[in-house]
Amino acid sequence: MADVAMGAAALVEERSPGRSKALASLKFGDLVFGRLTQAAAALVLLILSGVILSLLLGAIPAIRAFGLGFLVSEQWNPVTEKFGALAPIIGTVTTSIIAMAIAAPVGVGIAVFLTELCPQALRRPIGIAIELLAGIPSIIYGIWGLFVLAPFVQAYVEPAIIAVFGPIPVLSSVFAGPPYGIGTLTAGFVLAIMVVPFIAAVSRDVFDTVPPVLKESAYGIGCTSWEVVRRVVIPYTRVGLIGGMMLGLGRALGETMAVTFVIGNAHKITSSLLAPGTTISATIANEFTEADGQLYTSSLIALALILFVITFLVLAAARLMLARLERQKGR
Amino acid sequence: MERFASRRRSSAIMMGLSTGVTAFGLVFLALILGTLLWKGLAGLNLAVFTQMTPPPGGKGGLLNAIAGSLAMTSLGVIVGAPLGMLAGTYLAEYGRYSKLASLVRFINDILLSAPSIVIGLFVYQIIVAPLGHFSALAGVVALAILVVPVVVRTTEDMLLLVPAPLREAAAALGLPRSHVILKVAFRAARAGIITGVLLAIARVSGETAPLLFTSLNNQFWSSNLNAPMASLPAVIFQFALSPYADWQQLAWTGALLITLTVLTLSVLARWLSASRTNK
Amino acid sequence: MNPTPETVQNSAPKITVRDLKFFYGDSLALKGVSLPLHANKATAFIGPSGCGKSTLLRVFNRMYELYPHQRAEGEVMFDGLNILDPGQDVNLLRSRIGMVFQKPTPFPMSIYENIAFGIRLYEKLPKSEMDGRVEKALRGAALWDEVSGKLNASGLSLSGGQQQRLCIARTVAIRPEVILLDEPCSALDPISTAKIEELIDELTDEYTIAIVTHSMQQAARVSQYTAFMYLGDLVEFGETNHVFTAPRDKRTQDYITGRFG
Repeated sequence: MADVAMGAAALVEERSPGRSKALASLKFGDLVFGRLTQAAAALVLLILSGVILSLLLGAIPAIRAFGLGFLVSEQWNPVTEKFGALAPIIGTVTTSIIAMAIAAPVGVGIAVFLTELCPQALRRPIGIAIELLAGIPSIIYGIWGLFVLAPFVQAYVEPAIIAVFGPIPVLSSVFAGPPYGIGTLTAGFVLAIMVVPFIAAVSRDVFDTVPPVLKESAYGIGCTSWEVVRRVVIPYTRVGLIGGMMLGLGRALGETMAVTFVIGNAHKITSSLLAPGTTISATIANEFTEADGQLYTSSLIALALILFVITFLVLAAARLMLARLERQKGR
Repeated sequence: MERFASRRRSSAIMMGLSTGVTAFGLVFLALILGTLLWKGLAGLNLAVFTQMTPPPGGKGGLLNAIAGSLAMTSLGVIVGAPLGMLAGTYLAEYGRYSKLASLVRFINDILLSAPSIVIGLFVYQIIVAPLGHFSALAGVVALAILVVPVVVRTTEDMLLLVPAPLREAAAALGLPRSHVILKVAFRAARAGIITGVLLAIARVSGETAPLLFTSLNNQFWSSNLNAPMASLPAVIFQFALSPYADWQQLAWTGALLITLTVLTLSVLARWLSASRTNK
Repeated sequence: MNPTPETVQNSAPKITVRDLKFFYGDSLALKGVSLPLHANKATAFIGPSGCGKSTLLRVFNRMYELYPHQRAEGEVMFDGLNILDPGQDVNLLRSRIGMVFQKPTPFPMSIYENIAFGIRLYEKLPKSEMDGRVEKALRGAALWDEVSGKLNASGLSLSGGQQQRLCIARTVAIRPEVILLDEPCSALDPISTAKIEELIDELTDEYTIAIVTHSMQQAARVSQYTAFMYLGDLVEFGETNHVFTAPRDKRTQDYITGRFG
């Protein structure tokens, strides 16, 4: 068998000299490249593990000092070194809810307009405008919110809200004055304006996946535009829409710059949305570099850990949902 | 008939609402960009590009901030993009069907949308705290970590679009795997991958939070990677929240510069991917 | 199963398949196939969709290895060595057994580069010599006259038939010994098809050809040997005239007369 192999190898050499040598010299580089890509992929895993680990380690002093009470304490006193995460957590959740409550219908509404009503010629320009909006850095929204929106809200919107809800028993405390301008509500507004383009773009993409024949058959039996949207498009894209919303929520929760400028930075929980408050990321952004003392720093890192866990859960849920959508489509 | 009229009415109302909402949205876009242009341009002069950030009440520019942003963003991309491309290659090629790949893909998507302030804190913990000082290097690492997930995603997506027969044809010539990938697949996916890098640059150009705890800020010119460095976002953050009018003016101008950069990059990326599909 | 003595031409098999089995996951796609590929002859593989002819073709250059869960068992002897032996250098193998695919797949490069690309892998040639090799390959694929003036144009700018001939040129440029053609004309118009069939005829002078085709007429036109496959079995193998005019198996007869497709 060996001499047959040698004979065959000689035959190959005769017909195509140097070929095996040429290929052999490439083998090492081939192997190295393969391993390199694998290492890079592993690095991504490492980064995430690193993030979680470093946050955990940094938060340990605070966890040890306050335990689970950290999550429900409203205190925030750098002097006495008593810290609690409740105010930032509530602020984060509240601003995000306000933002999504506005951005979800507006974003979907824009997507409906783009896919159903918009004249063909305008479709691309408006679509591009939306995508460009989605790319504007959040600090821009932040300073615009501070210098333009907040004064406007303070002068016109909040007085109107206070006047409207004043006489109503429970809601009057939710919308109680004085009109600061900056505060939880304004931060929610800015956040909403920031998230809308994202939701609009994702919803538009999801709507575009509806097969035209499906919509045509609905129109064919006499459905109105709204009925087609409500009964065909939205049910068909339901999972994708929800996934997109959750991605938007994930972003809203983690947003720093858009809210830091207008939230007011008050570590207090009040019933009124018009009052200043704080969010986790705003707290960290405003206080981290000034924080002295290990407990102070550790509490801030513990806040970051909480934020990371919240966004991780939301994003993971969104991802799983979207993955289910892909599988349904038989990818 | 009555029923039909009421259905038509509801449809008209809802469609009217969606049109209104779109107009509303576009109005806000115009408002924001308009304000940005108006206030930003007011302060746009040569001094912005030739002088350093001034002390409060002084006259100055944004030179150190612009240079710092350019430097850190470029370095961040130089470090992060190749890493991202390699990892994306693994996901699309070598590990396409492997369990490791599914896990990495999931993790990558988490990192893609994770709050950037958390990334900033992470880099603080691993670089700033041990070294005992803020540095541009830490800023570069933070930006690189933000660049990687974007590039991984777009690289993988673009490589997956390369048709199997093209790969097989290259393999059929006897090309080893790395050559099939680098010389044929990458070539076919080239425009898309570059688009991905451009989008990553656009994304990190405006990031503030990760820089706050890494490169901090610097009132003066610095080319020392081992020291704090100014950046446009950090300067805007500081100046906008201050009570000084000239500082606030510089903040608006800086914001305008960042927005123009991001928009230009996004338009470039679109144009590139459009020209690819037209070929 | 063997051709009758008086019509056999004295060509030793270039490749001999012995009891080849192929698995997609757990399901058996080729159920123990044995046949010879005669040197400098064209062997056609015909049969209804799903019979395993493309699967068989893709075993010869181990193309299936690009995908998980596909494996082959048995022996495929090529110059005394078993192709399926894991110790075989698969890249070297593929340089000796080339393949042209159903859909034309020019690389995203210029026409010149498409050809030079493969050559460069194995040989370092000065430009003048490379130019000569590129021209030879393009002539060998009957494409030179049509593209000699635009060698720098993108390979994708050619028509479908021209792209397929470019792929053939690319394959012969690296001087293989065997060329596998997997339904090479199914995406082409009749005129391009005719040109390529002419080409195949010329190619047998220098190479051993294996061609999968779902057109019996094409098989009759271009091949000297034909293998009819059905549901993973090699039903009949022999000289093309014999298989088409006097098939031994009823299934072959039924397929040829169009009783099932």
